[in-house]
Amino acid sequence: MDESGVLISMRDEDQSFHVRYRMEASCLELALEGERLCKVGDYNAGVSFFQAAIEVGTEDLQVLSAIYSQLGNAYFHLHDYTKALEYHHHDLTLTRTIRDRLGEAKASGNLGNTLKVLGRFDEAVVCCQRHLDIAQDLHDKVGEARALYNFGNVYHAKGKSICWNGADPGDFPDEAVVALRKAADYYEANLLIVKEIEDRAAQGRTYGNLGNTHYLLGNFRDAVVSHEQRLLIAKEFGDKAAERRAYCNLGNAFIFLGEFEVAADHYKKTLQLARQLKDRAVEAQACYSLGNTYTLLQDYERAIDYHLKHLIIAQDLNDRIGEGRACWSLGNAYTVLGNHDQAMHFAEKHLEISKETGDRSGELTARM
Amino acid sequence: EQQSAGASSKPIIHSDDIEMEPETMETKSVTDYFSQMHMGTLVNSC
Repeated sequence: MDESGVLISMRDEDQSFHVRYRMEASCLELALEGERLCKVGDYNAGVSFFQAAIEVGTEDLQVLSAIYSQLGNAYFHLHDYTKALEYHHHDLTLTRTIRDRLGEAKASGNLGNTLKVLGRFDEAVVCCQRHLDIAQDLHDKVGEARALYNFGNVYHAKGKSICWNGADPGDFPDEAVVALRKAADYYEANLLIVKEIEDRAAQGRTYGNLGNTHYLLGNFRDAVVSHEQRLLIAKEFGDKAAERRAYCNLGNAFIFLGEFEVAADHYKKTLQLARQLKDRAVEAQACYSLGNTYTLLQDYERAIDYHLKHLIIAQDLNDRIGEGRACWSLGNAYTVLGNHDQAMHFAEKHLEISKETGDRSGELTARM
Repeated sequence: EQQSAGASSKPIIHSDDIEMEPETMETKSVTDYFSQMHMGTLVNSC
């Protein structure tokens, strides 16, 4: 090559390096902005930036893995589980190609969580097992605990999915019971590790879901013990949402223990926290639970008070199913009190809503 | 006692009413990746 040829070649190389440098910088900037947006909860905008970063492209496969993973998580938070699955799958393939074991464990965990939500439990179990195996190989205690928690969640969801419709907790088919018992075993195994590494936040989450598993298995006393632990940890962290969940779950367990007054106290705490958190849907649910609890206590005046509160919120939220439930409950309560005009009014409203929402059983009940 | 309480509460509490804890998603961040690389460079240069 003559001198001018060498110069041209150097200029090309220089230009190519410059283009690649610009590309990497641009991809990085876009990814960092996507990351920032997701951190503040703006997942839609975050997705746009991550997509743009992928379009620009990068030769750094660790950066690409981080982008795929965060895109998957953003879609997960947006409840677009098909897209979440797609990106977590890309991440898994990539981490295997570059032999990044920790990255593969993380991708497997995220894939497992997504498959669980999609009801693909057998595939989710395979992912959880891979997550667990790699974490154990790497002596990663935190990863191992998280894999066990995910395993518990998969079996819990599987058990719940095969529960008979309308069946009471503790009255489920054998297959559901087997899955729920496995869930409890995994949560217990997780608790051993998170206690050892003194991860209180993780303990709180596990106690909450273990309590729910005991509840579905009909072990209501054990459920109360777990939910009380969950409540304690939520208070330690000042985590009001977790506190509210614990009170609601405790209320449910005390209903099945026949301790209706105690259940009412817990539902009142739920209501108070729902109002503090300005969560209207949860406020409506708490009012409904309180209305039902006072019905069980045969205090129909208070039951009506809470069912009316529930009705107002359901109307505000344009929740026709909730409104129908409130009308049905109000019709019953007024019937017991002998107020037949009001009973008829709410029974008619219930019939009208049942027809509209296509609730055949509700319609038949209303006609009766 | 449990049995009768369960039967009477049947219409009002469903298994769907339980409140689950959130899933824990694994995170990979570009920021962390570059911080680690930077730390590696600093350690290597010492």
